[in-house]
Amino acid sequence: MPGMNSGLNISDPTVVAAFKAALLHQGLIALLIFAVLGLAWVTVRAWLPAAAQDGAGTVPAGTPGPALAEPAWRQLLRIGFGLLWIFDGILQAQPKMAIGLPSQVIEPTAASSPSWVQHVVNWAGTTWSYHPMQAGASAVWIQVGIGIWMLAASRGAWSRLAGLVSVGWGLVVWAFGESFGGIFAPGLTWLFGAPGAVLIYCVAGALIALPERTWRTARLGRLTLAGMGLFLAGMAVLQVWPGRGFWQGRLGHAPGTLTDMIQSMAQTPQPRFLSSWVNGFGSFTAAHGFAVNLFAVAALAVTGVVFLSGRPRLIRPAVIAFTVLCLADWVLIEDIGFFGGLGTDPNSMVPMALLAIAGYLALARAPVAAAAAAEPASTGASAPASAGAAAAGWRDRVRPAAVRQSLAAASIQSVASAGAVGLIILGAAPMAAAQASPVADTILAQAINGTSAPLNYPAPAFALTDQHGRPVTLAGLRGKVVLLTFLDPVCSSDCPLIAQEFRQAGQLLSADSARVELVAINYNPLYTQLAYTRAFDRQEHLDGMPNWLYLTGPRTRLQQIWRNYALPMQILPAGSMIGHGDYAFVIDQAGHMRRELNFDPGPATTSTKSSFAAELTDLARQLLGRS
Amino acid sequence: MSRLRRPAVIALAMAAAMLAAGCGNAAPAAQRSVSRAAPPGPPSLDTSLVTAAGTWAVALMGGSAAQHNNFWQLFARPAGSPDWKLVTPPGVPDNGGLVVADAGGRSLITGFRPSQYLTYTPLTATRDGGQAWSSASPLDAVLANAPDALAAAPGRGHLLALLTDGTAKMAAPGSATWSTLASRRSLAATPPGRRCGLQNLTAAAFTPSGVPLLAGACGHPGTAGIFAARNGTWQAAGPALPATLARQNITVLRLTRTANRIMVLLAAGTGPAASLLAAWTSGSGSHWSLSPPFSLNGAKLTSASFGPGGAAAIMLTGNRAQTIAGTGATWRTLPAPPPGTATLAPGPAGGFDALAVHRTRLTIWQLAPGSRTWATTQTINVPIQFGSSG
Repeated sequence: MPGMNSGLNISDPTVVAAFKAALLHQGLIALLIFAVLGLAWVTVRAWLPAAAQDGAGTVPAGTPGPALAEPAWRQLLRIGFGLLWIFDGILQAQPKMAIGLPSQVIEPTAASSPSWVQHVVNWAGTTWSYHPMQAGASAVWIQVGIGIWMLAASRGAWSRLAGLVSVGWGLVVWAFGESFGGIFAPGLTWLFGAPGAVLIYCVAGALIALPERTWRTARLGRLTLAGMGLFLAGMAVLQVWPGRGFWQGRLGHAPGTLTDMIQSMAQTPQPRFLSSWVNGFGSFTAAHGFAVNLFAVAALAVTGVVFLSGRPRLIRPAVIAFTVLCLADWVLIEDIGFFGGLGTDPNSMVPMALLAIAGYLALARAPVAAAAAAEPASTGASAPASAGAAAAGWRDRVRPAAVRQSLAAASIQSVASAGAVGLIILGAAPMAAAQASPVADTILAQAINGTSAPLNYPAPAFALTDQHGRPVTLAGLRGKVVLLTFLDPVCSSDCPLIAQEFRQAGQLLSADSARVELVAINYNPLYTQLAYTRAFDRQEHLDGMPNWLYLTGPRTRLQQIWRNYALPMQILPAGSMIGHGDYAFVIDQAGHMRRELNFDPGPATTSTKSSFAAELTDLARQLLGRS
Repeated sequence: MSRLRRPAVIALAMAAAMLAAGCGNAAPAAQRSVSRAAPPGPPSLDTSLVTAAGTWAVALMGGSAAQHNNFWQLFARPAGSPDWKLVTPPGVPDNGGLVVADAGGRSLITGFRPSQYLTYTPLTATRDGGQAWSSASPLDAVLANAPDALAAAPGRGHLLALLTDGTAKMAAPGSATWSTLASRRSLAATPPGRRCGLQNLTAAAFTPSGVPLLAGACGHPGTAGIFAARNGTWQAAGPALPATLARQNITVLRLTRTANRIMVLLAAGTGPAASLLAAWTSGSGSHWSLSPPFSLNGAKLTSASFGPGGAAAIMLTGNRAQTIAGTGATWRTLPAPPPGTATLAPGPAGGFDALAVHRTRLTIWQLAPGSRTWATTQTINVPIQFGSSG
């Protein structure tokens, strides 16, 4: 998965500082969004007291109609998963997330999946590693926004929409972040989170998004539990399947499948007591693998069958037992899930238990609630709409009087919901803009080599020969921005990478290429023939680039130029390449040196190469007055 | 029950799909072993050769687990001198491999197999026994990982290179342009190539009269795949093999020109039954002399060196060494060479030198004629720059 890993340290101080700064700035904007909405709400209510009075007797905006009380199962899902989304969002704000999520979380998760899954996931991981600030921050605000929205909007279309958004974002995370929950990978097991925690968020979101008429009967609860029952029965079959290694605590000297999974979880940095529990259970599994798997198979099968039965008297103890089983699995096998600095969520067992309890509540209590009231007439009303407005058509709802009434009647929950939508937009918009850019953020290059200070002095002159045998001088390049570097044509590591970065910069500058010259000067005193600069150009596919010049000349002249640019050079013995540094210079149209860049290509991943190219492009465009 | 029917069917389908997706074994299926042994390939680049300038030896040094920190070194013992010296050409990282070719007189040409991001082959030459080096036009491709991948025509300046993709290229003297002489496929399609059933190319050389030779492994038994480019066509140029080898697949492991003759090392057969033969021919290649076969007993050739008079010394896995003095001689076992011996070389006063490598230290051990004991004569500490080229 070539683009997934930026290659930088996941705790890189430059990136971590920039990520924190981005979150702080966006956090202030988030506060501003809520403050403005709150102020507007207070102001509107003060200006429109009559309307507010009218609205005071109604239910909050977005929760129109004579109330069928929100059933307990829905409250549980809405509040439970709302809190989970907020918690997940907070986890995304961990400092290591910006760099670490693609390489340490997404890539390992996808590693055992089929190549088409890896291909799909690589696209997302590459996007993240190209724009770690925007991607990291967007995950924070989108998830916190969804959580607040679900908590705040308890009724009506506004609440159902929150459920749908939860489904949509959950599917994104499930596909790209969890590699489809690993369902296409071997070793799939419920014990370790199949079918992916976020898919359960999606199911909960879908239930929340159902219209109120579905609340009336026990059918929804029965279907939910039947679905879970089928799933658990299927998981029991997978668990019992021979040849998957779950029946053995040990496979010869190696740990069995389950033991291995548990022991690897125990390696995660976490509180000592927790790791000792997990280690202890790992040892127990190693010694009694057959018994542990037998218990798991029996528990899954029995729970599945009972859930399928649809009989509340049987289901109630089964749900209690299933919840205990989930909590035990959560602690002893899934290892809580969010420790180590790169945990993205509390894993699958908490949402699984919430879903089972909600299913039971929907089955057992729905008929009582159904008797309370009839379904309101306007379940599709928009947030600011009052009950009366909701009953009318959309033209009536946008009439000034109706809008005034709606605004005045809006509840604090509606304001919070609108603020949550603002948070989601706050996260999604910069990421969408960044994703549209084909180049990586320059923060990656700065993390490797730091930033450079502006300069302004005449650049040392040179007069050499280009790869076509034509004489070239710096003075002859006046009027153009010169991006200059020094490359050894037989260097095997950094020089080819720098050349690739210059080539990418040339491609990015396409519209400005006539005004920017990409120049390299030979940095090897022993291999100075044109045949070598030409061979290097062919190697790096630079030979067809119109504004590329690779200059060489007699050894003495080259050495004078290196001295003038204060560049070190050493002929090393015993088969080493020439000892030299990695540099780039930005020279303006008047021949003045404007930047000197350390240009060590670092880990040389696709994202860092793209980042260096972006840095060169930005600096050239600044001198061209384009940014 | 009817309420459950539709969603239950959907859920059942989903569960079946998940089962189908998840039922693969956690452990990958064991790969079936290949029963047929592959033909032996050419030995490593560790080698030595004798030219008018003296004796040259190539050895890999560094001892690092990181491949890019191990560098190939070139040593020379000038004619008439008892001492070796480090003459590795500077300016190019040679951690990808170093291939040398006798260019006649005191000249030697060296090709650097590219490593990491370098994808072409820099060349450099010396005319003074390794004192000074000057770069030659590069080869725009990757030189094959074989000690006979590069050859120079004596006195003419033509160069012949065998590439990793099985192509042979040739350059005229002083020219920066390399033209394709043949590829494995084109050579296999010629009448001698078809008779051989040419599988791959392993070596290139010029005859003393400047005729390009290519050699490889034959798929048809009893045939030695050596081909000469004469008058615009490829002709079979290998030795006729005795009837005892008629059922053996033959691979040319080494093909080299020494003074006025061509010498080859052939592997006959595969696996534990394989044996090794040397063969010599003078100028035209019309008449070959064959050595008796030497059974490898499952060992592999790690290094082969050639000396004056058609002598050869080989290193085998298991720290074993064998030598043959030339035409009409038989294989002789040498005393177990010192640990770390990368290659053998003809000694200054007869006998043999063993170049033993321990990380950055090269120790020269000498086996005097008639002696059964190796004796240390020289140590060279090579200033390897770890971390400099990768």
